[in-house]
Amino acid sequence: MSLAALQTGTLPGLVPMHGLGGAKDLPIPLELAVTGATAALVVSFCVLTLAWRRPRYHDIRSGRPASAALTGVVDSPVFQWAVRVLGLLFFGHVTWALIWGPDLINNPALGTFYVLVWVGLVPASLLLGPVVRAASPVRTLNLLLARITGGDPAVGLTAYPARLGYWPAAVGLFAFVWQELVNPQSAYLGSVRIWLAGYLAIMLIGGAIFGAVWFERADPFEVYSNLVAKLSVWARDNDHRLVVSSPLANLSTIAPLPGLVAVVAVLFGSTAFDNYKDTITWQAFVRDLGLDATVTNSVALLVFCLVVAVTFTVAAMSTGVERTGPHAVPRTALPGLLAHSVVPIIVGYVVAHYLSYLIEQGQVTILQLSDPMIRGDNLLGTANWSVNYWLSFHPTLIAVIKVLAVVTGHILGVIAAHDRAIRLLPPRHHVVGQLGMLLVMVAYTATGLYLLMGGF
Amino acid sequence: MRPQLRSGLVGLLTAICLVVSACGSDDPGATDQPTAPDSSATLSTDESSPTDQPSATATKPKDTSGTTIDITFKGDRVDPNGVERRVKAGKPLTLHIVADKPGELHIHSSPEQEREYPAGTSDQKLTIDQPGVVEVESHDLDTLIVQLEVR
Repeated sequence: MSLAALQTGTLPGLVPMHGLGGAKDLPIPLELAVTGATAALVVSFCVLTLAWRRPRYHDIRSGRPASAALTGVVDSPVFQWAVRVLGLLFFGHVTWALIWGPDLINNPALGTFYVLVWVGLVPASLLLGPVVRAASPVRTLNLLLARITGGDPAVGLTAYPARLGYWPAAVGLFAFVWQELVNPQSAYLGSVRIWLAGYLAIMLIGGAIFGAVWFERADPFEVYSNLVAKLSVWARDNDHRLVVSSPLANLSTIAPLPGLVAVVAVLFGSTAFDNYKDTITWQAFVRDLGLDATVTNSVALLVFCLVVAVTFTVAAMSTGVERTGPHAVPRTALPGLLAHSVVPIIVGYVVAHYLSYLIEQGQVTILQLSDPMIRGDNLLGTANWSVNYWLSFHPTLIAVIKVLAVVTGHILGVIAAHDRAIRLLPPRHHVVGQLGMLLVMVAYTATGLYLLMGGF
Repeated sequence: MRPQLRSGLVGLLTAICLVVSACGSDDPGATDQPTAPDSSATLSTDESSPTDQPSATATKPKDTSGTTIDITFKGDRVDPNGVERRVKAGKPLTLHIVADKPGELHIHSSPEQEREYPAGTSDQKLTIDQPGVVEVESHDLDTLIVQLEVR
């Protein structure tokens, strides 16, 4: 039926106003949203007043060593090269579709870029750890170039300036979400070609100049994946051995480099904007304003990210640390030291917002990958599979998963922030000193649930 | 020096990759509307679907009951222009169209559908089985007509 039509390309690309994917999830019911928000609020105050008073996740890379067999496999050059080659082959396959495939909405390059890679990296990193780092085609290309020229892939022409921190990644992430959510050309191959050409060029040039550290700081996909991987059970101890760790202990090892707040603000603000931009209210506002929709949406996306950055920075800096004495912490360092606590909130919100999209549009893309030229091929043997829309037929289940995801992310965020705060705060400020952070997190969660309700 | 050599290689690769992407953009489909092999394609109803299939497809001409939404195109305006309507999943829905010139609707169900309508009065019938929010947009005006909340 229609799937066959999708695959054989009898259905052309649809309107530019719209990104990929057809129907969207129904708004979550009011009662569920209120229940979720109440639970978040109650748990937050319980954590604040009843939880432990000594930091438990004190930057230690502790954990049980992983089994020797697993470590042996993961650390073996054969395995590492197998993953790199798979990443490179997949990249090549998609590039083929991207450059030589027809410019139709069912070209698998689009679904791979926006769904399988961008959304899929979240569950993959959550389950398996830093997957992008392991399979990244730009890392492999840097490695191969270094091999060819006889150099060291880790070493570039000069050292990476420490004050840049994650700023290049924050810019790259913003460039991605702008391309996905604002660019009216997002569903056309031309814009994706330009985006990826720029990405490839910047990554390889940066890799040559600064060495492999560039990918850890500047590659938007790798930085996003590495942050989410800090919520997985997989960690490395100080001797770089593979350990199985508590996700919260793992999370506390996120390095508070410059630009970390910007990275989490872009990830969180853009997901909220993605939810908001489809509301009737916003669409009517854009229409009535009469300005170019691209300009209006660009400004709005930036404002969403800035609101997160500013509210978080203010809340974090309101935390009552000592200004002098042996335990003094400069206020300006606080947002960076607490930013890791936003990562679970982002993951919860991404699950809520993109779960059905990933599962259903992801299946569609896997089917399309068998036929990159859209001429009836079945290269990977997936072309005749059918898409299972079971999840969409259970809207109540989706709504419950969404609320659970948002509330779980919120609780983990509050615990992470609490644990970091009691390490930084003098004992007399333990409760009051954390109020700002707690309120801003409750506000994020309530806003998130309101948006999922189709609010505004 | 090794790193210099690598930088040179990277520069060369970058140039190649920019040229390739630029060539790609020259293809007329890149900036204009995508061209389909068969531009008049509408979704055909094809019964080979397993039970868990979506099928936001079929026209059911015999059933004239169910919800009707009136849509009026005049000049470069459409009425309604961005409203919400609740419809029942699996129940037939009629889009009653009065238009001063022919055009095309995009129905963002899963999977997506395109419907062409003629000038004058016409009815587009559809049934959406899968719950969700489905946007109906005017292709020609590039605007949202109605957001269907399918329950």
